[in-house]
Amino acid sequence: MAAARRLKRVVASQPGFLKLNSSSDPVSSRRRRVNKNKKKNWNKHSDINDVEEFLEDVRLQERTTGGLLSEKPDDTLFFVDVGQPKKAEHKAPEPVARKRRGKEPRPLRIDLILQQNSLVPPPKDVLAYQQPNAKKLRRIAHRAEELAAKGVVTRTQKKLLNRRPVVRTAKKAAVEANNNPNRAYYDIWGQEAKDLRDPWFLQQTRKKLVKRPEKLNEKPSVLPAVEVIAPGGSYNPDFFSHQALLQEAHEVEVKKQKEELKTEKQLSFNKEDKATEETTLRELVEGLVEEDEVEEEITPDEEEDVAVGGSTVSEKKTEKQRKREKANKVKEQQRLADKQQTKRQQQLFQLRSIKASIKQDEEKTKARQVLRKANQEAEKSQPRRLGKLRFQPQDMEVQLSDELAGSLRQLKPEGSVLTDRFKSLQKRNLIEPRERAKFKRKYKLKYVEKRAFREIT
Amino acid sequence: MGGLQKKKFERGSATSYITRNKARKKLQLSLPDFRRLCILKGIYPHEPKHKKKVNKGSTAPRTFYLVKDIRFLLHEPIVGKFREYKIFVRRLKKAYGKSEYSDAQRLKSNKPTYKLDHIVKERYPTFVDALRDIDDALCMCFLFSTFARTGKCHVQTIQLCRRLTVEWMNYVIVSRALRKVFLSIKGIYYQAEVMGQLVTWLVPYQFSHDHPTDVDYRVMATFTEFYTTLLGFINFKLYHSINLVYPPKLDSKSELELKEENEEDYAMGSECSVEKLSALSATLARVVSSAEEEEAQLDQFPVEGEDLEKMEVREKEQKELEDQKKIFEGLKFFVNREVPRESLAFVIGCFGGKVSWDKSVAIGSTYEETDETITHQIVDRPNIDKRYLNRYYIQPQWVYDCINAKILLPVEDYFLGVTLPPHLSPFVEEKDGDYIPPEKLKIMALQRGETSAQQEEEEEDDDEEEEEEEGVDAEDNDDDDDEDADENNLKKMEEQRSQGKSLNVTVTPGKVKVQNRERLEQSEKAEEKRLAIMMMKKREKYLYDKIMFGKKRKIREANKLAAKRKAYDDSEKAKKKKARK
Repeated sequence: MAAARRLKRVVASQPGFLKLNSSSDPVSSRRRRVNKNKKKNWNKHSDINDVEEFLEDVRLQERTTGGLLSEKPDDTLFFVDVGQPKKAEHKAPEPVARKRRGKEPRPLRIDLILQQNSLVPPPKDVLAYQQPNAKKLRRIAHRAEELAAKGVVTRTQKKLLNRRPVVRTAKKAAVEANNNPNRAYYDIWGQEAKDLRDPWFLQQTRKKLVKRPEKLNEKPSVLPAVEVIAPGGSYNPDFFSHQALLQEAHEVEVKKQKEELKTEKQLSFNKEDKATEETTLRELVEGLVEEDEVEEEITPDEEEDVAVGGSTVSEKKTEKQRKREKANKVKEQQRLADKQQTKRQQQLFQLRSIKASIKQDEEKTKARQVLRKANQEAEKSQPRRLGKLRFQPQDMEVQLSDELAGSLRQLKPEGSVLTDRFKSLQKRNLIEPRERAKFKRKYKLKYVEKRAFREIT
Repeated sequence: MGGLQKKKFERGSATSYITRNKARKKLQLSLPDFRRLCILKGIYPHEPKHKKKVNKGSTAPRTFYLVKDIRFLLHEPIVGKFREYKIFVRRLKKAYGKSEYSDAQRLKSNKPTYKLDHIVKERYPTFVDALRDIDDALCMCFLFSTFARTGKCHVQTIQLCRRLTVEWMNYVIVSRALRKVFLSIKGIYYQAEVMGQLVTWLVPYQFSHDHPTDVDYRVMATFTEFYTTLLGFINFKLYHSINLVYPPKLDSKSELELKEENEEDYAMGSECSVEKLSALSATLARVVSSAEEEEAQLDQFPVEGEDLEKMEVREKEQKELEDQKKIFEGLKFFVNREVPRESLAFVIGCFGGKVSWDKSVAIGSTYEETDETITHQIVDRPNIDKRYLNRYYIQPQWVYDCINAKILLPVEDYFLGVTLPPHLSPFVEEKDGDYIPPEKLKIMALQRGETSAQQEEEEEDDDEEEEEEEGVDAEDNDDDDDEDADENNLKKMEEQRSQGKSLNVTVTPGKVKVQNRERLEQSEKAEEKRLAIMMMKKREKYLYDKIMFGKKRKIREANKLAAKRKAYDDSEKAKKKKARK
C-alpha cells in the first residue's frame, strides 16, 4: 500500500502529468457532453494514455535497474572512459581454452526465454507462508513438549506404539521370477511348521493342497533317465566294440532301406496298365456298341430264379407222419443218452490218460502265462503309442573309422545332446511325440508394389 | 424285466479316460499351458488297453489322460496363475497397441509369477525320492548352461542353470563322489555316488551346439524350469549334509588367493562369483570348521560264518574305494589351453589333485606354468617347444583312464605324440565268459598288482604279442577262481588254452608242488561234480545241459573274437614292420 501511494505522489509531481479533466480537451475541438455522475463514464471518457506511458516507463526503470533512475546516485549510472585497457589481449585465449574442454553445456533457448530477467523481486505469496490452524498446532506441540518433559505417554502415542508392524517381505517374494539366477533355496524336506488352523476350514477355503495320489509317482517306463552310449561310441574306441556299433548302425540303416523299398514296391504299377489313347477311347465307347448281347444273356437267369422261388412251397404233414417223427426223435434221444452213459463208464478205465491230458493242458496254459508275462515286461520298456505319431528313435551316433579323431582336441562331437534328451523324454513316455505345428495363414498375402519403388522401375 | 436301458460308453474304461482336448477344456487352459502344467505336475498321457472302447467306437489315434489325474490337476493353484498370466499378456498387448508405454511399464512391473516349491515337495515327499530322479535334472541343467545367450531361451534360465551346475560340481568335488567318466562322441558321461545313489549325467562338449529344429524348445524349457527348482533344493540339502554354507562361498583364505585386480576382464560383476566358483579349485566355506569333523569309520560287529566273509568283502571294497578317492592326491597338474579345462579341473579335483592353468584362459589359476613342483602337464598337441625335465607331458586321456581303472596307469602310453590306447567304456560290466578286450585285461592285471609282466614288455620290442598272452593268462586265472569251470569239456578247453600259453612261465620246483596240490583239489572237485551230475533227475539234467551248452557257446564266441583280434593285431604289426623297412 505504501509503495502504491508513493508512486502516485511521484507521478503527480512529474512535469508531464495532466489532470483528469483536461486530458481530452486539446484533442477534440468540439466539447462533448458527458454525464459525469457515473463512475463508468469517468473511465470511458477520460484519456489516460499519458499516465499509462509514464507508469510503463517507471516499471521499465524498476525492472531493468531496480529503481528510478532519478533516485540513483551518479556513480552507478556513469563511469570514466579511459580507453581500451590491455584486457583485450587477456580475453583472447580464454575462449580457446574453453573450447578445448569440449562442449560447454549451453542453456537451451527456451530456458533463456523463461529466465527471470527483472530486477523487481516477485511478490511474496502470503498464503504460501501461512499455515492453517497454526495457533492450534503450536499449542498442541507446546503441550506435547511439556508432557514429554514430564515423561507422560499419551494414549494416542501408546496406540501407535502398540500397532503391529506391516510385513512387506511377502509382496517382494511374490514378485520374484521363478528363473531368477540369484533366487534363494531352503530346506524343503526339513521339519515343516504345522498349520495350526482348523483343517476343515483350510480344506473348505482351498488353502490346503489336495494329496497327490500314490499312483502318480510311478514312472511310466522302466528305462533309465540316461542311457549310456555303447562302448563303441567312445571318442577313441576299442576296435571290436567300434565295429559292433557300426554293425548295429548298419542294420538299422538296412532296415530303413528295406521299408522304403517295400513302400516303393507297393506304390509301383505295371507299365502296360498305363492308359493309352486307344484304351481311353474304348472305355468311352463301352456299353454303346454291344448293349443287345448283354441283355439277352441276363434274361434266362431271371426266369430260372423265379422257378426256384416257386418250388419251395411245402405241403401239410399228416397225423401219422407227425407221430412217427416224434417216436423217432425220442428213440434217437434215448440212443444218445445210452451212448453217453457207456462212454462215461468207459472213462473210468481211461483215468490215467485223462489225467495226463489235463496235466498237459495245464502246462500249456502255464507256458502261455509265462510268455505273456515276459511280453508284458518287455513292453514296459517300449515306447507307447501316445498320440497320432509313433515314436521315431533318433539316428544312431556313429563315427566311421576315418572320421575318428586321434586326440580329444580334434574330436568332432556327433549328434546333439538336446535331441538326445528330447528323444529320451519321448521314449520314456513322459511326452507324446508330436510334429511341429504348421503355420497357417488366415488370409492370403497380397503383393503391392510400393509407389516409391514403382517410380524407379 | 425292465429297468433302465444300458447305454454304450457310460461305464468301464470309457469313463476312466479323457482325451487331451477335453481335459484342456475342463481346465480352461490353452494347449501350451496345459502341456506345461502336465510336465510340471508330473502327469503323463496313457495308452489305454482297448482304444476303441475308450475312444467311443472311433479308432482315430488320440492322446488320452486318466480322468482322475485331470481331476487332481483341477486343484492346482498354479492353474490360476496361468490364467492370470494370459490376462497379463492381453493387457500388455493392448497397452502397446495403444502406445501407452507408461501403462505397459506399470503392467510389466506387476507381472504375475509363480513358485514350484510346493510341487517339488509334493512330487518328492522325501529327499531320497528326489535324489533318485536327479539324473534328468542334471543333464538338462548342464545342457542349458552351455547354451549361447541368443534368445533360444531366457538368459536368466541359462544363468540359473550355470549356477546350479557349478554348485553341483563343487559338491561332488568336496564329497569326492565321482566314480566313472566316459568320453564319448556325444558328450562326457559322469557317474557319481551320492548318498548311496548312483547318479549318471551327460555333459555336452563345449561349443558343440547346433540347434536342432525338431526339438520343442518350449517343452524343454518347461522341464528345465522344474528341474532347476528341484536341483536347487537338492543342492541345498547336500551342502548342509557336509556342513557347507549353501549359497556356496569361497573360504576366506582362498578368497584372498583368487582376488585379482582386474576381475572385470574375466566376467561381469554379477557373474564374477559364479565364475570364481567354477574354477573348482578353491575350498568352500564351512558352517563348522573342518577340524571338528571326524572320519566316519565302519562299526565293527562280532559276526560268524558267511556274514564274516561278506563283511570282509565289504571292508575290502570300502578300502578300495578309499584308495580310489585319493589317486591324484599329491599330484600337481597344469592344463594347457587346448584341453577342455572345466572337465579336467572337475575330474582332477574329485580325486584330490591340484590343477592350474594359464592366467589368460580363465579366472582362478593358482600357479604358473613355470612352477617347478608341477608333476604332470596335460597337453593335447603334437609337440611342445619348451619342456621342463621334472614333469610328465601327457595327453588328457590319461586322467580319465586312471579314474576308470582306479589306479595310476603307467604314463608311457600317454606321452606326447604317442598313439593312445583305446578309451574303454567303464559302464560295460563283463560277465565271466564274455569277450574282454586285451586292453581291459591289461588294466585288470595292473589292478591286481602284476607289474613284472609290464616291465618285461617294455624291454622287448614287439610287446603286443606279450600283452595278448598275458591277457589270456589273466582270464584263465579268473576262471580258476570261479567255481563254474567244472564241466569236463570246459576244463579240457581251458587246459588246452593254458597249455598253449603257459610256455613262457618259468617253472621252479616249489611251484610245481603247489600246482600238484591244486590239481589234486581240482580233480577231487571234478569227481564230486560228476557224481552229482549222475544223481540228477532227468529233467534237471536236461536243464543243466542246456545251461552248460549256453556257456560253452559263449566261450566259443569269445575265443573266436580273441582269435580275430590276434589276426588283426598280427596284420597291423606286419604293416608296421613293412613301414619301418
